[in-house]
Amino acid sequence: MSSAWITTRAWLLMLPLLIVMIAIVGWPMVDTVRLSFTDTRLVGTSGEYVGLANYAKLLTGNAFLGALRTTAVFAVFSVAAEMTLGVLAALLLDQQFRGRSFVRALMILPWALPTVVNAMLWRLIYNPEYGALNSLLTQLGILSEYRSWLGEPGTALWAIVAADCWKNFPLVALIALAALQAVPRDIKAAAVVDGAGAFARFRFVLWPYLAGPLTIALVLRTIEAFKVFDIIWVMTRGGPVNSTRTLSILVYQEAFSFQRAGSGASLALIVTLIVTVFAGFYIALMRRSGSRA
Amino acid sequence: MSTLEIAAVTKRFGAIDTLKGIDIVLENGEFLVLLGPSGCGKSTLLNIIAGLLEPSGGDILIDGRSMRKVHPKNRDIAMVFQSYALYPNLSVARNIGFGLEMRKVPKAEREEAVRRAAEILQIEPLLARKPAELSGGQRQRVAIGRALVRDPKVFLFDEPLSNLDAKLRTEMRTELKRLHQKLKATIVYVTHDQVEAMTLATRIAVMREGRVEQIGTPREIYDHPASLYVASFMGSPPMNLLEGRVSANGDSFEAEGGSCFIPIPAASRSTLGPGRPVIAGIKPEHLAPARSDTRSTLSMDVEVVELTGAETLVIGRTGGQTLVASVKPDDAPAIGTPFALTAPADHVRWFDPDSGKAFPA
Repeated sequence: MSSAWITTRAWLLMLPLLIVMIAIVGWPMVDTVRLSFTDTRLVGTSGEYVGLANYAKLLTGNAFLGALRTTAVFAVFSVAAEMTLGVLAALLLDQQFRGRSFVRALMILPWALPTVVNAMLWRLIYNPEYGALNSLLTQLGILSEYRSWLGEPGTALWAIVAADCWKNFPLVALIALAALQAVPRDIKAAAVVDGAGAFARFRFVLWPYLAGPLTIALVLRTIEAFKVFDIIWVMTRGGPVNSTRTLSILVYQEAFSFQRAGSGASLALIVTLIVTVFAGFYIALMRRSGSRA
Repeated sequence: MSTLEIAAVTKRFGAIDTLKGIDIVLENGEFLVLLGPSGCGKSTLLNIIAGLLEPSGGDILIDGRSMRKVHPKNRDIAMVFQSYALYPNLSVARNIGFGLEMRKVPKAEREEAVRRAAEILQIEPLLARKPAELSGGQRQRVAIGRALVRDPKVFLFDEPLSNLDAKLRTEMRTELKRLHQKLKATIVYVTHDQVEAMTLATRIAVMREGRVEQIGTPREIYDHPASLYVASFMGSPPMNLLEGRVSANGDSFEAEGGSCFIPIPAASRSTLGPGRPVIAGIKPEHLAPARSDTRSTLSMDVEVVELTGAETLVIGRTGGQTLVASVKPDDAPAIGTPFALTAPADHVRWFDPDSGKAFPA
């Protein structure tokens, strides 16, 4: 079999997939680019070509910069908390104790929940009149009266960060646990004999095995966090006073609430660009770890 | 005072008795090899000495001090692992000095100790490298260096050579022997390789199913195996074990299927007794071709002749039982011919087929 035929056959076999990909990803993408240069509205007449006007208006307006800042805050804090909690949980679950398998299975539950269900649960917990959080904090004497966690601009974003963290830290824990289980027993024993304390054992024995998988988890979670939409939409719809309006929420509002398809498209492309940068970083990491193996 | 005392140590894992009461006393500078097949409990015992496992009963004493509830790092032991167990992201120098670093030994002192250990093991040029950049043999040297630098009371080795290829294994074996002679260190060494045990040990403890089957110098174990188990474990090829019985008049051994006559020394006749079933243990190297003027004691039908270098192994059957003789290449017979051999009576060991134990010589 000639190598030319092998190549041709490979392309032939991939052709159906390529066609589907072009139809559902490629063409809408190209059309979004086209839309972003127009003032098309969602319903009604097709728009006029306006050049870079949509982009100029976005990049100089307050809405975009505010949403970018909110998204960054959400991503940095939720991912940082998820990584920390995930690694701590993995370290605990790596210990020998009775009922370990049960606890491991239990831990996956939040992550297995649909985001919308999780968001609804947390809305109940945060409810200003009968929410469990208010009840708990007042009974413990930490709070003197009930608060509207999702109704105040100062607390809404942090309440969502906590809910997102609860849902997603198990994924990090799972990845970290798998990495910890790959640490050879002999090395752990050698560190004990060498007199390494808990911190030194983490730093010199466990960390080399954790670093790679955790970096991948970090990048994947960051990409996810930058695209966040559903949990916020269910919990606050971007409010109050736009305090939880992330980029994806803003795209939705522009395109569907305000029916400005053209400017919504330009915003969507900017979000895509940001996520692509992270994705490129992720691919570079995968290549590097692949060539090392 | 003994350096290491293993006193009535037992270990249970659930319903399984892994160690059933081990007692060994080790003097300063001894090289003890725990020898046995996998699952005999030798690694468990080593981990108990290290403090990585708690014994279910009994105690470990180092320099007379009970090690009960003493953390591994405070036991003054160092351990070398089968898989080397090097820290992958630390340089060779830091790997070797890690134990000292964790014990807050000042940097200058630490570096001097690392340099000295590296010099002894001839790995000075490797000090800046990472473990991934080393060969198996080099990694093993680093692992030994890590133990060496600590200058502990007792060194523990857990099958340290089993991941190396045959040639390197032989080299490292000699190196370990040299190291032991030079440092006069007290060592407990676990292996399933009887050649390693023979060459390295000052004493061997042959283990079987959680017990010490026999303990003694390599010579004692090799020449006077206390049981069929030890006899079949030691030597390559191991001792021939011929089933048979004592003749009616009690002065000779007759193998099952005939064609064998071994005189029983006068001293052993009273313990063996006429007509009694016994197993005769004869080392392959003690079987010699019979000269025409001597009375042959054994005859075998030659099936295979293997030249191994300095000597030739002749494998065949005598009265339905397999027999291996180790002879000079010039004495090797042709395949398919009968081969007459003599076995000096004073080199034959006698075993009780029921208990598996040797009769006192």
